[in-house]
Amino acid sequence: MRPYDNRAWFLLLPALLLMGVVGALPMLAVINYGFHDIFTLGDLHWVGLEWFEDILRSDRFLASLGRSLLFSGLALAIQVPLGIGVALLLLRYGRRAVWGLMLCALPLVVPWNMIPMLWLGLIDPRSGLLGPGLAAIGFDWKFTAWHTWALILTVDTWHWLGLVVVLAYAGLSAVPPAFLQAARIDGASAWAIFRHIQLPRIAGALAIVFLLRFVDSFMIYTEAFTINAGGPGDATRFLSIELGEEIKGFSYGQAAARATLYFLIVLAVVWAFVIATRRPEA
Amino acid sequence: MTLAMIRALALLALAAFILLPFAQAVILSFTATLPREGLAEGSLGLMNYQAVLAAPELRAAMVNSAVYVVLNVALCIAVGLPAAYALARFRFVGDRHFLLAMLVFRVTPPVVLSLPIFILFSHLGLVNSPVGIALVHCLFNLPVAIWILESFIRAVPPELDETAFLDGHSGPAFFFRHLIPAIAPGIGVAAFFCFVFSWVEVVFARILTVTAGKPITMAITAMFGFQTDIGMVMAMTCLSLVPGVAMIWLVRNHIARGFTLRA
Repeated sequence: MRPYDNRAWFLLLPALLLMGVVGALPMLAVINYGFHDIFTLGDLHWVGLEWFEDILRSDRFLASLGRSLLFSGLALAIQVPLGIGVALLLLRYGRRAVWGLMLCALPLVVPWNMIPMLWLGLIDPRSGLLGPGLAAIGFDWKFTAWHTWALILTVDTWHWLGLVVVLAYAGLSAVPPAFLQAARIDGASAWAIFRHIQLPRIAGALAIVFLLRFVDSFMIYTEAFTINAGGPGDATRFLSIELGEEIKGFSYGQAAARATLYFLIVLAVVWAFVIATRRPEA
Repeated sequence: MTLAMIRALALLALAAFILLPFAQAVILSFTATLPREGLAEGSLGLMNYQAVLAAPELRAAMVNSAVYVVLNVALCIAVGLPAAYALARFRFVGDRHFLLAMLVFRVTPPVVLSLPIFILFSHLGLVNSPVGIALVHCLFNLPVAIWILESFIRAVPPELDETAFLDGHSGPAFFFRHLIPAIAPGIGVAAFFCFVFSWVEVVFARILTVTAGKPITMAITAMFGFQTDIGMVMAMTCLSLVPGVAMIWLVRNHIARGFTLRA
């Protein structure tokens, strides 16, 4: 058991100071701005909860919230099982799995604003490698809503699958081989081994995956905006795109109120995550 | 036999899915996509790479990115190491709350904080400077660095600390002579993730570089215009992948080890 020593806080001081400056102070400022009407920063007017009421009462906000939740749900439903599947597959290749991990990690090092550009180049009907084929089967991501959704989901999966694979592989490779051998001798099926031996072992890593993927897909901006700017119509107007519009339109008070709301949603999810992962320990 | 073939096919499909967009970018980067003097559109060659390397603003952007990413990695490791050590070796009032706070910082969407960060940093004179970006990227990188380093330090038996102190090493000497060599792969993995997330980030990098100090991501965005030379854009993109790929290669054997987390 680790010793109890409150002097350990001294070792945390640099981290606390840094996070205070780049995290806590700006967050307090955002919350404060959310209660003001801002013309210039020298010209603030207290408006109380007006922005929050406006946003929460508007149908657009609720529709965007629904779309963002649906997008996150779909992204998790695709990427988590797929990532675990790839990790299980790689596990069978022993040391050669390193090559698979490197392959999966490749999209993580692409600058974010270039990811949609890579894909738009790939599906360009004139010059893309896949473009002519997709055009021939009637794929039209500019004007057909579900095609835009499919494209953004594919791009997001391409981008982040590597993170799921790496984390799932980390958890799976920590399962002692003796456990698996024993189960096989007992005649357990591959599914039973996964369900009762491997899955419980990677639950912690999966919880982190769920959290990170939820938050990042919930706030997806660069990909969604570059691919179709929220269109066709409002079909891919996610929460972050509305926030981006307000910041670009200089309505800072309203943008800050909206940012505060988003932060509260994220906070609620983190809270639920902590509650959910603590239960087994207690 | 058939099962092995199905597995191999699945891996091939995965590789194709991941590599196709890269293949497209590499092909375009060697293609003349705009007619230029002496070159027909569609001809192949190194002209895009030559054009990128000949442009001073693009060369400067690569240097800017490299500077703030290296600064960020150094800062995250230097600040994260003591914190990770404290969390791995001691219990204290509020240790779980500290981890929770780190988690909250990691998942706070950057766009939420972009406006006040800009105002705060312009007061501090950190706009247009790589130091500003290096600092603000700690918001999401420091928590990651602390998680990874903590799990590596935990794997080192506490006896290492005790014998080092019995041998008369002071705190700093212990850190540099014993702890850091013992967790070198962990530092590599933490550096990898900090490097990657800082290198690819665009929200803070955009708002904190108004007139100067443009990073590589913004330099690429600036290349889009009325007549975009997409071949040159792709050449720049391919060049921007080089450091990341090099980092993947360096940490390849440890990349999946840093996440044996206690939830």
